[in-house]
Amino acid sequence: MKRLITLFGVFAMLFALQLAGVGSDVFAQGSASGGDVMGQAFKGLETFWDFTGFHNATGSNFIMIAVGLFFIFLAIKYDYEPLLLVPIGTGIIIGNIPFAEGYQIGLYEDGSVLNYLYFGVKKGVYPPLIFLGIGAMTDFSSLISNPKLMILGAAAQVGIFATFFGASALGFTPQESGAIGIIGGADGPTAIFLSSKLAPPLMGAIAIAAYSYMALVPVIQPPIMRLLIPKKERMIKMKPPRAVSKTEKVMFPIIGLLLTTFISPSALPLLGMLFFGNLLKESGVTERLADTARNAMINIVTILLGVTVGASTQANYFLTTDSLKIFALGAISFMVATAGGLIFARIMNLFLKGDNKINPLIGAAGVSAVPDSARVAQLEGLKNDPNNHLLMHAMAPNVSGVIGSAVAAGILLAFLM
Amino acid sequence: MNHINFLVVDSQVWIITTLGWLIVFVALIFLIIVFNQVPKLLGLDVKKLIAKKEKVAEQGARGSEIELTGETNAAIAMALYMYFNELHDEESNVITIKKVTRNYSPWSSKVYGFNNVNFPR
Repeated sequence: MKRLITLFGVFAMLFALQLAGVGSDVFAQGSASGGDVMGQAFKGLETFWDFTGFHNATGSNFIMIAVGLFFIFLAIKYDYEPLLLVPIGTGIIIGNIPFAEGYQIGLYEDGSVLNYLYFGVKKGVYPPLIFLGIGAMTDFSSLISNPKLMILGAAAQVGIFATFFGASALGFTPQESGAIGIIGGADGPTAIFLSSKLAPPLMGAIAIAAYSYMALVPVIQPPIMRLLIPKKERMIKMKPPRAVSKTEKVMFPIIGLLLTTFISPSALPLLGMLFFGNLLKESGVTERLADTARNAMINIVTILLGVTVGASTQANYFLTTDSLKIFALGAISFMVATAGGLIFARIMNLFLKGDNKINPLIGAAGVSAVPDSARVAQLEGLKNDPNNHLLMHAMAPNVSGVIGSAVAAGILLAFLM
Repeated sequence: MNHINFLVVDSQVWIITTLGWLIVFVALIFLIIVFNQVPKLLGLDVKKLIAKKEKVAEQGARGSEIELTGETNAAIAMALYMYFNELHDEESNVITIKKVTRNYSPWSSKVYGFNNVNFPR
């Protein structure tokens, strides 16, 4: 022990002597250069100040940070799509922290970490992966048992095309109008996919509009439902859906994939992954893959997508009059889409008899926004008749809305690319 | 900003709007037709099956006419849900070791275990 202490003591002395020698050298150099240490320290502090967020902040940064905080508040306090709004809200804050440009920090700076993560959004990589997860978690049996409800999913797509028309009238180019119109599809991944192809500069605003209106579906839809559907029709009870065999469930994704992608090949990345995910689920032999797709993978991609979409709203890119127009058009498109589904459901009832009649409330679920709009139809149904459960029926137009909006995106791509 | 005049919108926009929506309808109607035919192709006469099931259900119901309210159904559903969620085949692998304290007993005494006879002194 004594030997060890002696050895360490000698080493420590040598080290201290060396330090003292070098230290005196540095001090000698410092005093030789004129002794303006304080001046240099102030210059260093000034440079540091130039890098801080306080120096680079503008009013618009604070506005956007407030928007991000509001999103987080909505998600936590009112439970509005928290899985989307918390990552997006945090992303908005991250994207709007002011910084000195040119050091590979910001999302739009080549080579930055955020830029690499944003690549998945910019090139439309994330949306198909999300669709894979959606396919692996969706049960299409209500749709298979009553295929005629699929038409409600097509009717609600009127929102997309009405907004496309409205955006063109407001002076947007056809490509930009197509990207804005897809907000009416109430499908975040589809909106990001299409806007990344047609109008990349507007993608942040479009994605934020799509996701925020999706979160607000429980607020937007009920008044329109009550306005357009008389109380008597809101109380219609639908007959329970028939049981669906396993063979039908397995055949659905294969037939759906073949038919929809032959009609609209541009939507192949979305529809291909959606039906592939569903096949993983329904085949019964790939449970591990389906499990990963609907849990781990979709969660990872949602986190990356949410944060990067949020961060893409840097104030200098986002706070423009175009963004305001996009938000206004997005709200209108949601309303038109909801109204389209509801009205079409009422029209369908004119041709249906007896217990085949459908409750028009489920028409609103055609806007996709899975599963929120189906849940809204269920809640509205329960308000009018506490024993009328519409959720199972509403899921049919709801999932067909996903297919419909992806087909519509493919059609817009084919027309406008 | 341009003036909003819906009549002066590019003719291309009109075409895409109407054609686009129509194609979405056609695509989904096509799917409806196919999926209406699938059960027939699979040899499943759905109506017959349903009629059969209804008959069996009627016969079963005749014996015991039970009318269940929504609340009862909800309670049953909740019970089933809780039952199936309580079932778990994966254990946490945390083993709790209970410390067993015992009073002195000559049977466990160390002293009697030693052979003291030839211990070197």
